[in-house]
Amino acid sequence: MSRHSPIGPDPMPLREALRGLRHVLRKGGQTLADTVSTDSMPKSAATLANTMLREAEDILRRIDTVTSGLAKTVLGGETPKTLHLAKLSQSRDADVQFSQAVYVALRSVLDQVGAPNVFISEAAARSVYQHAALRADDKPATLAANLTLDLLSARVLRGITAQDAARVPGAALESIAVFAVLLWLQSDRSDVENDAALAAATDISIAVAGEVAKACGEKNADHIAALYEKLAAHV
Amino acid sequence: MSDKALLVEAIPQTNEPLRIAVRRLRWFKRAFHSFTDACGKEIGAEFLVDDVKLAAIFVRWLEAIDRQKPSDRSKRRDFFEFAASLMLQEMTAEMPLSAKSAPRIAKAESAAGFWPEGYCATMFCLAVHSAAMSQEFHTATEIDPAIDDLRHWWSFKENALEDARFSAGFLQLLLGHKPNWLMPDVFRARLKDELG
Repeated sequence: MSRHSPIGPDPMPLREALRGLRHVLRKGGQTLADTVSTDSMPKSAATLANTMLREAEDILRRIDTVTSGLAKTVLGGETPKTLHLAKLSQSRDADVQFSQAVYVALRSVLDQVGAPNVFISEAAARSVYQHAALRADDKPATLAANLTLDLLSARVLRGITAQDAARVPGAALESIAVFAVLLWLQSDRSDVENDAALAAATDISIAVAGEVAKACGEKNADHIAALYEKLAAHV
Repeated sequence: MSDKALLVEAIPQTNEPLRIAVRRLRWFKRAFHSFTDACGKEIGAEFLVDDVKLAAIFVRWLEAIDRQKPSDRSKRRDFFEFAASLMLQEMTAEMPLSAKSAPRIAKAESAAGFWPEGYCATMFCLAVHSAAMSQEFHTATEIDPAIDDLRHWWSFKENALEDARFSAGFLQLLLGHKPNWLMPDVFRARLKDELG
């Protein structure tokens, strides 16, 4: 069952907005630090500029803490879910469960590969599931492959820098991260094994990064489905 | 038969049969970390494990066993032993662990002192194999005395670094077989006298 906050029946849009704000603040703070150099300024100007920068950073940090805290604790949606893709369609709020699981799992994958500042759109993930052509006779691997391509085309991950992308072979962070999450969603696992399974799905996805990037780049759903069929039992 | 202890107790418990669990990266990774810790304590060394390399090894190993898995069920037991040798082959091709320093406890003239990483990887493959054989076939794994002979380890290291397929033959040797040194990584190419 999905967890709703007292703020409204569906806190997701507000959660998405707060996460967007947090993302911009973090990027802005990083850009500020990268861009403004006081080394070449005269001493008095550098002292003033450094004081202003410290205050600006402090303000950014405080707003970041507030938005993070709100998004996490008040609005929910940060709890890891033990979902299985094949059983998901039986749920009444499958789109909510899917998008929350994808958000939390992508966050974990991005942390694991060292790209924690990439923005993840839970709204895009929900929209993808709502508009997916779900056929009862589709194999889980086929469903997962179609969702993979839809998530990529809906740009569920945004604000990936070249440095972020290079965290995985072939700079294919977007494809690898989405592939890892869908692979994990198909794996047979218990609650206790949830985190280890996600970490393993990420490791496997990196190990086959070249093939995943090629299949996703060519939008070849059959190839992606074949990879899922081959690997899902081994997460 | 060697009386070398295999540290099977360092292989984590699982609710699934080991033959299934070993084909899941989450268990394989846990088992490898647990084993390298135990092996490190035994020989007095600390190992660093590269999880990215370990995952790549795991995927290549799965592909290798899937390619060669016999459809004839009577060959299942032989293939169990063979699968362990393919695991060692993949590990020596891209060693997933490195010792932070020379072992403090193992003597320099022992296998563990001579090549700690190769020793630990080999013992891991033997321990997993031994645990799986015990569970599936209720048999104890006997290790060939070659494991206690440093000359075999010299040869293993020198040849495996040149051609990782040699490692598959080395593990088969430790399990008491006569490897086909021309094609040690090909199940169908086992020597006729091995096939009986």
